[in-house]
Amino acid sequence: MTPVASLSPGMILAGAVTAAAASLWLLLPRGAENRLARWLGLVLGAAALAGFIVTGRRLGGLGEEAVFLVVSLVAVISGAATIVTRSPVYSAIWFALALAGVAGVLLVLGAQFLGVATIVVYAGAILVMFLFVLMLAQPSGLASYDRVSNEPLLSAVAGAVLLGLLSLTIGRLSADPTCCAVPAKSDAVTGGDGERKSAVPAAADPLAADQVARLGGELFGRHLLAVEVAGVLLLVALIGAIAVVARGEAALEDDRRLAAGGARR
Amino acid sequence: MMPLVAAGSTAVLHNALLVGAILFALGLVGILTRRNLIVMFLSAELMLQGISVSLVAWSRHHGDFGGQVLVIFVLTVAACEAAVALVFVLQAFARTGRLDAAAWQELREATLARTVDHALPASDAVPPRWPRLSTAGVVPPGADESPLEREHV
Repeated sequence: MTPVASLSPGMILAGAVTAAAASLWLLLPRGAENRLARWLGLVLGAAALAGFIVTGRRLGGLGEEAVFLVVSLVAVISGAATIVTRSPVYSAIWFALALAGVAGVLLVLGAQFLGVATIVVYAGAILVMFLFVLMLAQPSGLASYDRVSNEPLLSAVAGAVLLGLLSLTIGRLSADPTCCAVPAKSDAVTGGDGERKSAVPAAADPLAADQVARLGGELFGRHLLAVEVAGVLLLVALIGAIAVVARGEAALEDDRRLAAGGARR
Repeated sequence: MMPLVAAGSTAVLHNALLVGAILFALGLVGILTRRNLIVMFLSAELMLQGISVSLVAWSRHHGDFGGQVLVIFVLTVAACEAAVALVFVLQAFARTGRLDAAAWQELREATLARTVDHALPASDAVPPRWPRLSTAGVVPPGADESPLEREHV
């Protein structure tokens, strides 16, 4: 029996979470550049990832495991790089890679539409908006608020506590065969009130040919009211953004006039 | 097309929930510790990605589309949030010239006293460091004009 196999999964997880927190603390921007701290952080991060991989469940096939491992590693490593990179532009680009990883995870999980929508909406629209703002608002040079982060040790500890609790709960959840069993078909088809029929058959094959069509049916059937509310929300956000810009210009002029000694309009 | 992983298996649920939890914790650390407003919003989006992975994992586990529909609404709300938040970030930048979250301590009515949480330095950008390259070729005409490229990204 190898030494690793003799450890309980909980101990491995605790070690991995601790290593992840120490790695984040070493890698987060804290002012002076320290090459040794960076390498130590990278090594500790790799150890944490190895711990998480060891405690992961086997998926039943080498191909499936390889695909899931690659996309989830891309997502997690790019996510970590997003928050430790000093330059916000690089941070946004790492976030785009993290989005690609998350889209891969969603595709593995059988959510084809969401995988593509993540790429199109997030990486194509939201992230480009972030990059536009960065190009408009980035002062030249690396500012102090990019070089020094706010209480990196306490935040890393907070993240470690959250991740430890979550991962231990998840491990206990999936080790218990009774907790999250798939309900019988009749239970899943009828909703809480018993009479409303879901458009989705229970335990639907996630990669069926008409999966996206059934998702659309669910969206515009059961959740039609929510779709309307979301449309109103988009409209309000659009109008609100324009209104803030228009009022902000006038307020800025007021500020300049006040600073120059003039009277408020 | 066969499913890549069998539906309803606890293994894929466990692994996907773990990935979602890690992404959420990374986003939490980022939003707690980074001071650049743009990076803070990127961290918030990272947390939303973790939530999306968890929701889709449960949706997959139960063979129900409710989780996926919720992720579509997460996308919608994220787009709205990014639009409105970036407007505020741009306004704050136009007023203070910095993307520092601490610059928002200047946000007050003109009659109220100033609250100083972190003292903001007047100018805090470090000049970029470029690699030293050996001189090669000829100097193009007009090379002494101001450079067109950005100093630092």
